[in-house]
Amino acid sequence: MSVEFTAVTFRYPGSADPALSNVSIALGERGSITVLTGALGAGCSTLLLVAAGLAPHVTGGDLQGAVRTLGENGTTKDGRASLAGRVGTLLATPWTQLSGMSFTVWEEIAFGPANLGWTRDRIDGAVDRALATFDIARLAERDPQTLSGGELQLVMFAAVAAMEPVLLLLDEPVQELDPRRSDQVYAEVLPTLAEQAGIVIATTNVDRAVDVADRVLVLDNGRILADGDPAPILGGSTMVAGGRSTTAARIARDAGFSEPYPLTVDALIQRVVS
Amino acid sequence: MAHMNTRLLALIPLAVGINLAMGQFVAVMQLPLFLDTVGTILVAALAGPWAAVTTGVLSQVVFTVVSGNIVWIWFLPVHLLIAVYSGFAARHRVFRSLPRTLGAGLVLGAAAATMAWPIAYLVFGGVTSGGVTIVTTLWSGAGIPLKWAVYLASLSADVTDKIVSFLLVRIVLHSLPIRMASRFPLAARALGRT
Amino acid sequence: MIIGYQPGTGPLHRAHPLTTLTIAGTVAALAFVLPGPVGPAVLVLAVVLTAVFEKVPRILRVALIIAAPFWVFAALLHGVIAQDPTRAVTLSARITAMIVVFLVVLASVHPARLVDALVARRIPFELAYLLSATLQAVPRLRARAREIIAAQRCRGLRVRGPFARRIGVVIPLALPLILGALAEVDERAIALEARGAASPSRRTPLNPPVDSTVDRLTRWSLGVALVVALAIRVLA
Repeated sequence: MSVEFTAVTFRYPGSADPALSNVSIALGERGSITVLTGALGAGCSTLLLVAAGLAPHVTGGDLQGAVRTLGENGTTKDGRASLAGRVGTLLATPWTQLSGMSFTVWEEIAFGPANLGWTRDRIDGAVDRALATFDIARLAERDPQTLSGGELQLVMFAAVAAMEPVLLLLDEPVQELDPRRSDQVYAEVLPTLAEQAGIVIATTNVDRAVDVADRVLVLDNGRILADGDPAPILGGSTMVAGGRSTTAARIARDAGFSEPYPLTVDALIQRVVS
Repeated sequence: MAHMNTRLLALIPLAVGINLAMGQFVAVMQLPLFLDTVGTILVAALAGPWAAVTTGVLSQVVFTVVSGNIVWIWFLPVHLLIAVYSGFAARHRVFRSLPRTLGAGLVLGAAAATMAWPIAYLVFGGVTSGGVTIVTTLWSGAGIPLKWAVYLASLSADVTDKIVSFLLVRIVLHSLPIRMASRFPLAARALGRT
Repeated sequence: MIIGYQPGTGPLHRAHPLTTLTIAGTVAALAFVLPGPVGPAVLVLAVVLTAVFEKVPRILRVALIIAAPFWVFAALLHGVIAQDPTRAVTLSARITAMIVVFLVVLASVHPARLVDALVARRIPFELAYLLSATLQAVPRLRARAREIIAAQRCRGLRVRGPFARRIGVVIPLALPLILGALAEVDERAIALEARGAASPSRRTPLNPPVDSTVDRLTRWSLGVALVVALAIRVLA
């Protein structure tokens, strides 16, 4: 497994309540897509940061327990050096992720690969592939400061993917996108990326994520509430009642269907037909 | 420069941005101040003298570039003095009490004026554009020898400016939410809490 | 008023950025070394012609706006009050030469090219990053300051009153700007680190400018010219 947590408890500096408490889990195998969900503040984003070796290293705070990411210890300098570029982390707000060193979208996407010291040829190839995967080649010459929120989120996602990581940790990757673009990301981009990498998506909105998820992890107050196949877990009445499931499941429950509730519109229609 | 940590890499450009944005507040309130070193003093309190020096140099360079006015780069040594002084002032907990803060600002104002004076006088003959030069001209016209007119003009401007700047940084340090403040352990020391 | 890069194909646009910077540095130094008022005046003529030849004549208007106050004060302080018009002309010409040549550099060197030239010269990544990130952060924070002023105006910001009261009003303007910026620090640091900014590898320059023999020769000869001028000035 790409990420292994053993009894991990994490507190942010200046806060008494742990953001993660006693989490033991293994996830992120190449080719897999795991969805992390829970209410805001449940610890999904924190779990990604700890897995990436960014917390506590950048955020400060106190970490107990053991974290192994791609076999490395992200709390050490050597561990992080070895993880650079192999773990790709996409944060939820696109604006604060702009490098500040790029005058075009092309340069913004090349920022990560250039930092890794790749040759110019390898950078060219990686940036062009990322532009193609995300269908944003037409933005290549734009000034990133002039992009819309949705365009910027796709560019930042492409910039992380261009580093060709073997583990992708994505925090709300489609939050700023219009429905057509988020469909495209879930239906085309993620399966393409999953050919080369293990993918973990943290999101409060699982409507589209259930289409691609092999596994779902539900967090509550820094603890793991449920872990396993999406259909039985998110289709259960506690998850649906707690607002942690999909819109289709909520409709099915309100309409008086029986558990497990269907998670997608297609599944709901099939239920109605049968 | 040793490998600089990424939090400083993120903080310093924002601090320079603060230095260069404060002028808009000063202009709108029609205050005879610059407040263009508030970001530098703040970094000194949050991250120490070296980060402040980097902020100071960068501020002066970038201010010169965005204003298009090369004259400002000559005052780089003054900004350096402000950065080093603030770094050590913060280390000596000057933000602990109001009188200490005001006193530190007063001393810095006098020191900065003393340093700006030879630059303004020897390099530019007292002609450095802006409000300070108007004051210089007034003093000079009133019969005070030019070199003293230049000094008096910078002194009055700098002392008020640095007192208000230190005061403002103290208010910022006191307003930091706990979660943010605990990310900058040096700030607690600057406030005399540790 | 346009300050900054203007696209073009003149020799200074094509030259290695360090060559253009060396030219500017030499001019600025010569402005002080050459005896006045003729030396600096000739220099002003030379840099004005350079601006025209480089097809960035628009900077001359900016230069005029920046330099005019100097001329007025130099005339007042040195010409009228100190009765030394020659010094007034020398000072004005010196400052004008520096202002014009600096604006020529800003108009003909794109910041990205300069940063790439510096990265190719193996300056630490941190320095290159700070320079370019700061150039992008400044307009953003200035825009935010304007938004804060606009928001406070809607709430009836009062810009008049005694000095102490006006200082008191600066605080609610400055606090949101400063605290907002500090709140971004961690997120920006995480994002930088996630993009390999702390990676031990040496960063690849994306478009390193060509440093030709002509560039190198120019830089060397400018250096020699400066030393000669300095020597003559000191000996004379």
